[in-house]
Amino acid sequence: MAESFDPKILYVMCGWCGTGGAETASAYGMYYPENVRIFRVNCTGALSTVHMLRPLLEGADGLVISGCHPGDCHYDDGNFMARRKVALVKTILDSLGLDSDRLWFRYVAHGEARRFVDTAAEFTDHIKSKGPNPLATRSDT
Amino acid sequence: MKGGQVDARGGIQAGITSFLKEALSKGCFDAVMIPTRVPAGDSFAWILTDNEDLVAGASPLPPVMPVQGARALSSITKKGKAPAKIAAVMRPCEVRAAVELGKLKQVDLANVTLLSMDCPGVLELSTYLSDPTKGDSEFSRLLDKWDAESLRPVCRSCTHFSATASDIHLGLLGAQAERLYVMPLTPEGSRVTDALNISADQELDSWQAKVDEVRQKREEQRRKSEVELKERVEGTEKLLATLSTCIGCRNCMRVCPICYCRQCFFDSDALEGEVAAHLSRAERKGSLRFPLDTLLFHLGRMSHMSLSCVECGTCEDACPMSIPVGQIFSHVARRTQELFKYDPGKNRYEPLPLVTYEQDELHDFEQPYVKTYSGKGAADA
Ligand code: SF4
Ligand code: SF4
Ligand code: SF4
Repeated sequence: MAESFDPKILYVMCGWCGTGGAETASAYGMYYPENVRIFRVNCTGALSTVHMLRPLLEGADGLVISGCHPGDCHYDDGNFMARRKVALVKTILDSLGLDSDRLWFRYVAHGEARRFVDTAAEFTDHIKSKGPNPLATRSDT
Repeated sequence: MKGGQVDARGGIQAGITSFLKEALSKGCFDAVMIPTRVPAGDSFAWILTDNEDLVAGASPLPPVMPVQGARALSSITKKGKAPAKIAAVMRPCEVRAAVELGKLKQVDLANVTLLSMDCPGVLELSTYLSDPTKGDSEFSRLLDKWDAESLRPVCRSCTHFSATASDIHLGLLGAQAERLYVMPLTPEGSRVTDALNISADQELDSWQAKVDEVRQKREEQRRKSEVELKERVEGTEKLLATLSTCIGCRNCMRVCPICYCRQCFFDSDALEGEVAAHLSRAERKGSLRFPLDTLLFHLGRMSHMSLSCVECGTCEDACPMSIPVGQIFSHVARRTQELFKYDPGKNRYEPLPLVTYEQDELHDFEQPYVKTYSGKGAADA
């Protein structure tokens, strides 16, 4: 079962550094797991908390968010605001005994192709070892 | 804490109203917003009035909280500063919600004098309605004894029951028989006590001691109820079982002072789906339960407003399905507020946590990168 489990991973990245890292990776022909679906937003700061919660209730086994490193945000402070919102969502999940470890937040810079593919692979393995997200397949969420 | 005293010979409620009546007649404020018993006798509503007789007959500390006071104050001042001075007579959680709504631009506190008092808690609305006479006598007993068994669950473990961000606080605890303490907490409060010739320079040690004693009991109760609540709702199975009776009426959101949105996101088109989308969702999830998106609504609402939740329990009173929604929100709110060291309603000038940030914070929520990953799914594997 564990071996055949093919997790659905949503990778949300900002339109500047995050996707930049992915573009650099593609320019170098680097590989990342196919089950990772990339979703581009203008800035991680533009993500709402509901954007983080909904995939986790509706089918994703994990959600990873990458934006610019601190100080590098195209809009100055979007990544700092995103960090606050990620912390908020994780705290809500934790306080109710829901799995907050299916949500990751990691900075990836434009040139950091290796860091992007590593994150995609590492997060996929992390979710594989956790198994399917129980909320994703429940009818009563 | 320093303050003065006023007469309360006719009882606590009469003491408060006669203080207000005098302040009104001396022009300290032009109107008073205060709860009053409805003509049918079995509930309470807010009135805004400059009529001294209506103030004298009002119920500053009703036994129940059918409408959160901050909501009433928002109805009055949402569109801007009051042209005349209004005294808003509220419980501490209502004052705190009003302060939060001020930050959210749903209340304008510019010409409002906030008056709070020590609050023994309130009874469950449904219990009260089933026998108001019994409820009234139970509440007078509570005002005397300050025990907790008959209170709503959130009130039993409320630790913000006393002086708060108001301009004037009225102390009931530790006062001598037929007296009330008056504490001006801001220059605005002192303006009122000065006008009434109340010298507010007495050290209120007996009040402080009593407040500490009650707070200690409430904290103990809080620890106990948290264990019980976790037992009841923690984890996917238990949480979904607890929410499984939710009928999606949104009462909890509509009565919540903090949820002011004209159009709630969770009732918006954003969550509407085409038939085909529902069918594929049903297929993916095995089946689909209606009402839809119950957990998303509750978790999403927490993410929108828990940082400002004042744990007033109005949501729980309004839930027709007796879901402990106030206890759940209060439990989560304590944690999210602790995360940002934010105490809602405490400081009018402290920004809401989601409109500000520190550069150096929350590193526990950043996933550390361990150089090149060489696990199974690694890049060039
Ligand atoms: S969520 Fe409930 S307890 Fe919290 S402020 Fe709103 S009504 Fe009060
Ligand atoms: S749940 Fe969110 S969108 Fe809905 S009323 Fe409350 S704050 Fe507004
Ligand atoms: S009031 Fe109760 S039944 Fe109605 S939406 Fe809220 S939790 Fe659900």
